[in-house]
Amino acid sequence: MKQVVVHPERCVGCMQCMAACAVAHSQTKQVHTAIMESPLPKPRVHVGVGLFGEGFPNRCRHCNPAPCMLACLSGAIFRDTETATVMINPDTCINCASCAMACPYGVIRFHQDWLAPPGKTVAAKCDNCDERRAKGLIPACVEVCKSAALTYEEMADAMKKKTDEVARSVSTAAPENIPIPAGLALLTAAKKAQLATYDR
Amino acid sequence: MEYVILGNGIAGVCAAETVRQFDSEGSITMVADETFPPYSRPMISMVLAGQVASDKLPIRSTSFYEDLRINAVLGNRVAEIDVDQKRVITQNGTSLRFDKLLIATGADPRPINAEGLNLKNIFFMRTEAHVRNMLAAIPQTKRALVLGGGLVGFKAAYGLLQRGLDVTMLITSGYPLSMQVDETAGKLILDELRDHGLEVRVGISVEAFEGNGSITGAALSDGTHMPCDLVVVGKGVRPALSFVPQDKIDIDLGILVNEHMETSTTGIFAAGDVAESVDISRKTRWVNAIWPEAVTQGRIAGTNMAGRQVSYGGSLSRNVLRILNLDVMTMGLVNPPENSDYEVICARDPRHKMYRKLVFRINILIGAVLINAIEQGGIFMGLIQNEIPLNVPNSILADSSFNFKQLMM
Repeated sequence: MKQVVVHPERCVGCMQCMAACAVAHSQTKQVHTAIMESPLPKPRVHVGVGLFGEGFPNRCRHCNPAPCMLACLSGAIFRDTETATVMINPDTCINCASCAMACPYGVIRFHQDWLAPPGKTVAAKCDNCDERRAKGLIPACVEVCKSAALTYEEMADAMKKKTDEVARSVSTAAPENIPIPAGLALLTAAKKAQLATYDR
Repeated sequence: MEYVILGNGIAGVCAAETVRQFDSEGSITMVADETFPPYSRPMISMVLAGQVASDKLPIRSTSFYEDLRINAVLGNRVAEIDVDQKRVITQNGTSLRFDKLLIATGADPRPINAEGLNLKNIFFMRTEAHVRNMLAAIPQTKRALVLGGGLVGFKAAYGLLQRGLDVTMLITSGYPLSMQVDETAGKLILDELRDHGLEVRVGISVEAFEGNGSITGAALSDGTHMPCDLVVVGKGVRPALSFVPQDKIDIDLGILVNEHMETSTTGIFAAGDVAESVDISRKTRWVNAIWPEAVTQGRIAGTNMAGRQVSYGGSLSRNVLRILNLDVMTMGLVNPPENSDYEVICARDPRHKMYRKLVFRINILIGAVLINAIEQGGIFMGLIQNEIPLNVPNSILADSSFNFKQLMM
């Protein structure tokens, strides 16, 4: 089964995934109208800023076993057995934040949502674009990502690609890895240099 | 294999599920006082506040016992454990044999020392039945008195306010949640409560309750008298272990367990509010009577009972609650001893009512109090629980912009 794979080294921190995610979770699915909606749709992927301005698209890992699911007081968090996606039922969520206390990645937010009862604040997080996938679309964050920091692929394929990259990097005879675009490479080099000089 | 589980709280329920997952053949018997289907205990305060209907409390299906082929002996407390004969005797005389026993009897509300405790309309808030009785009494009452500034006290006070009662909260210590937060956070919470119409009196306790049949007032430790017609006692809990044979099973405040949740007697396990394990941040034995630990301990105990050895890393105190407009999250050791080797970092943003206190042992986080901006709290929990040494300055965790990426150096 395909899933969203994050490649942190390619993220430029443009936050387009956040905007696309918010639109994908809006009622109208169009950016022009989504911004007029009430409640305002919010993203479930969160680009965090590193210590040197580097970006990272932080999203739910759909852990198994999932700490949030074990901590949920009302039984609102469940796993969709078909897609292995950890989901939150907005009707039974009691907004207690026990899941936020359990999530080791800090990806759960609390706000109103058009799918939740009106006026009710609920826990919200990535649902692997359940709604879009039912229509045959890929997750919105992947679709919009311009730097291939987010890809949608079989985990086995993604692992193989990485293994091959490592293999190529230590073998002179092998063809080179698919290069990272020049601008991005410069940015990454600058960040790496900063990190190298960084003393705890 | 015959498994007997005492208690149908979340520790017992999780243990039963785990045992069944690994052993489809063995017989499982659950003995429990409460007859209500397995429910979410922390949610009872929301029923009191009218935010949740009581039919939303169950967190397992009504066919839970049948589905897992559990022999449920409900409405019955355990009276005695015969360790040598491997038998459990209940209060109505039923005798049950066991190969593996789990004591998950939880905790009972801590009683208080005051006269007149037998008067009507004095309640504890621990079970679904307590709240049901309270709701039945509320229409005839106007002035409520809540004893205790802990979590239960808070939730009771909030619920009663929502029901339109005048509520006075009496706190023995100087600020609310003194077991969970530090003084700064406690004062912030106190201000918030007072802003919302709750009368809070600190450093005071009740000497005696007065009334003729039903309660009509209370005599306080400062010599004054206070009229009230409903009282909720929220002075914490203590492990329910009166039936435990102390010559066979070692106890301290709770039942002592090793890393497999096993007691000093082989084949007898304990989990949840009744068990005393090692606290990760305090590095000492401690009873952390909280829901998430009961879940974990129940699962660990169940796995070990079914014959698969797994270890428990120790427990950690933690809590999160939303008080009116404040979100409060607290975990680990938050009030370290004075002049110790701990580093404490505090950050405050009064405009956003944000406060963050972090306690470190060199570069390992061991405790945190967060007021508002609690979304990243789980990351702190992970750091404390796994005792991860930071490779970044401790201070970055105090900034409101802190996020997971900053740990990925």
